[in-house]
This record gives sequence, structure tokens and C-alpha cells, in this order.
Amino acid sequence: MATDMQLIEKLSVLADAAKYDVSCASSGAPKRSSKGKSGLGATDGMGICHSFTPDGRCVALLKILLTNFCLYDCQYCVNRRSSDVPRARFTPEEVVTLTLDFYRRNCISGLFLSSGIIRSADYTMEQLNRVARLLREEHEFRGYIHLKTIPDADPQLIAEAGRYADRLSVNIELPTESSLIRLAPEKQVVTIKQAMHAIHAGETEAKAEKRAPRFAPAGQSTQMIVGADATDDSTILRTAQTLYGDYKLRRVYYSAFSPIPHSPKTVPFEAPPLLREHRLYQADFLIRGYGFEASELLAGPGNLPLDIDPKLAWALSNREHFPVDLNRAEPTLIARIPGIGILSAKRLVALRQQKRIRFEDLTRLRCSLEKAKPFVITQDYRPSLAYRESAALRQSLSDGPVQMGLW
Amino acid sequence: MRQVRFDGSFDGWRDAARGLLEHGVAPHQVEWLGKGELGGLFNEPDTCGPVGAAPPVRIPRQLIDELENAARFRTGDRWSLLYRILWRVAKGDQTARLAGDIDGSELHARIKAVRREAHHMHAFLRFSPTGCIEAPDYAAWFEPAHDILRSAAPHFAERMGLNSWLIATPSDAVLWDGAVMHHADPCPPAWRRLAQSLNDPGAELWKTYYESTFNPARLNRNVMENNLPVRFWKNLPEGALIPQLMSQARAGAQRDGQASSVAERPGKRISRPDQH
Repeated sequence: MATDMQLIEKLSVLADAAKYDVSCASSGAPKRSSKGKSGLGATDGMGICHSFTPDGRCVALLKILLTNFCLYDCQYCVNRRSSDVPRARFTPEEVVTLTLDFYRRNCISGLFLSSGIIRSADYTMEQLNRVARLLREEHEFRGYIHLKTIPDADPQLIAEAGRYADRLSVNIELPTESSLIRLAPEKQVVTIKQAMHAIHAGETEAKAEKRAPRFAPAGQSTQMIVGADATDDSTILRTAQTLYGDYKLRRVYYSAFSPIPHSPKTVPFEAPPLLREHRLYQADFLIRGYGFEASELLAGPGNLPLDIDPKLAWALSNREHFPVDLNRAEPTLIARIPGIGILSAKRLVALRQQKRIRFEDLTRLRCSLEKAKPFVITQDYRPSLAYRESAALRQSLSDGPVQMGLW
Repeated sequence: MRQVRFDGSFDGWRDAARGLLEHGVAPHQVEWLGKGELGGLFNEPDTCGPVGAAPPVRIPRQLIDELENAARFRTGDRWSLLYRILWRVAKGDQTARLAGDIDGSELHARIKAVRREAHHMHAFLRFSPTGCIEAPDYAAWFEPAHDILRSAAPHFAERMGLNSWLIATPSDAVLWDGAVMHHADPCPPAWRRLAQSLNDPGAELWKTYYESTFNPARLNRNVMENNLPVRFWKNLPEGALIPQLMSQARAGAQRDGQASSVAERPGKRISRPDQH
């Protein structure tokens, strides 16, 4: 075990190196408890954000790399081999000690471990698995574990990772194959998708048989970098929709490209507006939760509007569905009204079994009235004719001039 | 107006409310007085005798759970709303429980605030090792905005295995001895002293992590403060770092995402694998 000072230095390097992976979810794990038992940790399916950093991001897990030495030269990555960054490597025991210590202090709900590629894909994956095995078997750790899966690793090693981890993820990195060839020469779409397929097959197998050992019960996710290449939102959302369909991913994370020190000329020097990332997350949520198709949100090539949210944009270009009568409409159509979310839609349906919906009910449900007003009919309300013209309506509902950053 | 004096607990309120319902006392006729609360000058003390052979009122179990949750919400008068809803439901008006109703909306807002505060405790409470054989293994000081300690504390028994721990708050406290939960109201002064006096050098590692996992190129103060309200900062080891990291990021470190402590150190390029 290193001295505290060395450990602090390694931690600062290897947390800094891991922060460009944006996922920090700790939800979706099965119920586990350590009450009255040796060992440590619990999960109950709910995620907990134990802190937030000033960039507004949730801190749920200890998110670190085992090492940031890396043989690959992905242009967008701070840890690429040609990058002039300080390098460090944890021993598996050090990662275990840090995880358990932070967990007992209630600073985290588990570990998200990734690594630069050292020696080979198999060797790297074995090292990650070793940490997870130590935690689960020697320390009876029942908290959350997310392991990054190395695309070219042996399927046996991916299967082993699935037995220890709650979540596995393989990063698709970039939305198109041509960008991957240009910016991540050592990575291949075909092996990334093979790894996703191996994880999906493992999940399916474990679910099919009751007594089968657990396999990544919180499923798999991936990350796409936005703004490191010229790909538009339309292509990004279609790629995401395909991944959700083909591999049953729980989440696609969109990471606005963050300029890195000593940036190579192949990637931009400027970050894309954070608002673009935000709109992609909103659109992604509409695809996952509301039954929208990517092609409904963006019919042709191009980007999502920044001045209005994607649901409002959809409603403005599909005025023939509106106004919607809240006392008659199908629940799925109610959830498509701007300013009314899925929960409010459910509550309106419950309420209308008791009484006729009136406009003031929307106030009590804390719906966004300004947005909903032009699109709803209630027992005592009809939108005024002044709302007919979509261009004027858009202007009055827009979030104001496009901001430079997010403040 | 009838004054109803009870011990301030939910169970005490429920017993009193049941009696009033059975006597047909309407909500506007009742003033609720918990422990130590003084009523209005001209009100008459409760004269409800013991319940005779009045038929028992049937209330759905789920409503009782909702009322109990809402009762944890701290506000000047937390009991009138609950009795009004109970009264309306007992009279057959189920809308009183729905979020779209004028009373139901307040009920659900209180339940939501209570749930959120329990979640805050699960998230932002920090244990420190006491390093003392006579004391529990870990202790924490937490300042909840609602009366959630007792109902939210069992979460930590699931997490902490055989460790013993103590959580002290300005009002009450819980102690988990490794097998059984003890609730103390008010919090014993010795427990309070222990929880507030821990000097914990081990928190440095956590502060290092917090600083390094922050991306200064993406400063976003509003989102942060909405999710981690400022009132919690003072009891978090990373709390004092937050303003400091924000002002550094604003002062120009925000060109790229690297932490300044990492940028100060010498870098190392790696040669291509085929050139070994």
C-alpha cells in the first residue's frame, strides 16, 4: 500500500483521467442488503447522488481509471498515448481500499472502474475483473459496480465481468463509423458492437433461466461524444435509436466534447454549447419514455433547435393533433402535449375518472401552463385564436436568444 | 372551536382524530395542539368523552400511510389539513386524496417534500470514523428540514453491515448498535458532542477526488445548487471547496477540463506499441 501522499497523487490523476465518461448512474441494481451480515453495502434499485460538482454533475460512484497509461491514440481522449499528461497506475488493492473507505463514509454508492489499454485488451479486462472479484468475494461488497468493458476482450472475460458487475458499458465513442476510423484508429465499430452483443446475450441468458448466475442486472449503457466531429443531431439520434433497439441498452449518454490540454489539430478547440447536449438528452428521453421515433423529432438531416425543447418543436410542426381535449384524449397523446409530463398525464387520467378536468387542475398539477395553454382544451377553457400562428407562438415560447455557454 | 391536545406524534393524532370522526366533529371546529403548543384564548378544551358504541369509521390503509408521511412535514399547522382530508374521505369524497384536488395537492406536495428530504439524508449525510472503542464505529451530524430521521435511518443499517453508527440532529438522534436501532428525542448532549467534534484527516482523500472529478470547463452553478442546496454545504467535507473551485474555473481555468493540480505535474507521452 502506498503512503497517503502517493495515494492522493494517484487519485487526483486517475479521477481527472476518468471524468470524461459522463455516466454516474447507480440505479437499476437488484435488492441487496448487508443488515446484520459481514461485508458492506446495499442496493435497492434507486440511484443516489451523494454530491454534485460545480459543473452540475452527480457524484454517485467513485469513477476512476485503474491506469491512464494507454496504447491507443484516440484523438478526442486526454489519455491517448501521444498526450502529455501525468500518468499513474493503481494496484487493484488500492482501488478496493478507496472504494470501501468512501462507501463507509457514505460518499458513494459504489465503483465505476475503467482503464487505459495496457499490454492487451485481455490483460486490461482481467485487471478490471480482478478488482471486482476482490470487492465481491473477499470483502463481500454489495454496493454498485459498473465496469467498462474492453471491446476486443475475450467473451469469457466479458462473461466474468457480468457476474460481478451491476452494469457494463462499451463506448460507441462516435456516432458514425467514418469518424471512428478518422479519430480512433485502433478502435473498430465491429468489435464494439460484438462486445455489446456479448453483453446483451449474457443478459438474455441470465433472464431466461431462473437459477442462472446473475449477469449485469442493471444492464448496459454506452457513451457518444458530441461535437468532436461534424455529425448532426439527426444522425446521432438515429444511431442511438438503433442501439436501443439492437442491444436493449438502458441508456445512451451524450458527452459534449470537452477540450483537452494539448489538443491535437484533428479535434475542435471549442466545446459545443452545453445546451446542445441538453437538447439531445431531452430528445433521448422522448424516445425512451414517450414513444417518440427519432424521425418524428427530426424528419431530415440537421440539429435540434436550441431555443425550444424537442417536444414543443414537435407540437409546433404537428398542429393537426392539437388542441387536445384533456377530458377525452388517449393518455399517450396527453403525454405528448408540451408542458405536461408522463406523471401529470397519468394524474389527469386518474382525476377525470372522478370529475371533469378544468384549467385550474393543471395549475395544481404544476404543469408548465405557458407551454400547455395553446395546446389543450378543458371543460372551461379553449385556446384563443391568437395561438393559431406557429411562428409567432414559437417566438413567444422560446427560451430567449441562444446562449453562449449555459450561463 | 374545540381544542384537541395530544402528544404531537402521528399515533397520538390518529387516536384523537378517530374519536372526533366518530363524534362527527367537523374540521373547522377543531384546533390541534401538539406537545407544548398554546391554543387560542377563547377556545374550549376538548370535551369529547370516551367513544361509546358509535360505529367504527373505515379508512383505507393507504390513506393512513399517506397521512403519516405528510405528518413528517414541518409547518406551523401540520394537523388541520390531515384531519380535513380524513374527514372528506370518511364522508365518501375520494377526490380529497388526489393531486388534482385543492387539499390533495397540498397533501402530495408535503409527501413529496418529505420524500425528497429523506433522499437528501441518504445522499448528503457523511459518516466519520470515531476511532474510539466506547463509541459507535461511525458518527454523523445532519440537519434535516423535516422529521424524517426515524423513518429514513434504517437505510443505513442495510448499507453498513456489522458497523455500529450514530446520527445526531438538532432535534433527535438514532443509534444503531449493530443489531438494534435506538431512537432518542431529544438528542442526548453527549451524542451531539461526539457527532459534531470529529476531526477526520481521512476526508482529504475524498476532497481530492471531488476536486479532480469536477470538469472546470463545464461550470454550471444553477444545476448544481438546485441539486445540492446550499444549506447542506456546511456539513459536507467538500462544502468549503465548492466556492473555491467555482471562482478558479471562472478565473480562466475553464479552457479545458483538467484539474489544476494535475496540470501542474510533468506529463509523459507513450511510444507506439510497435516501436518497443
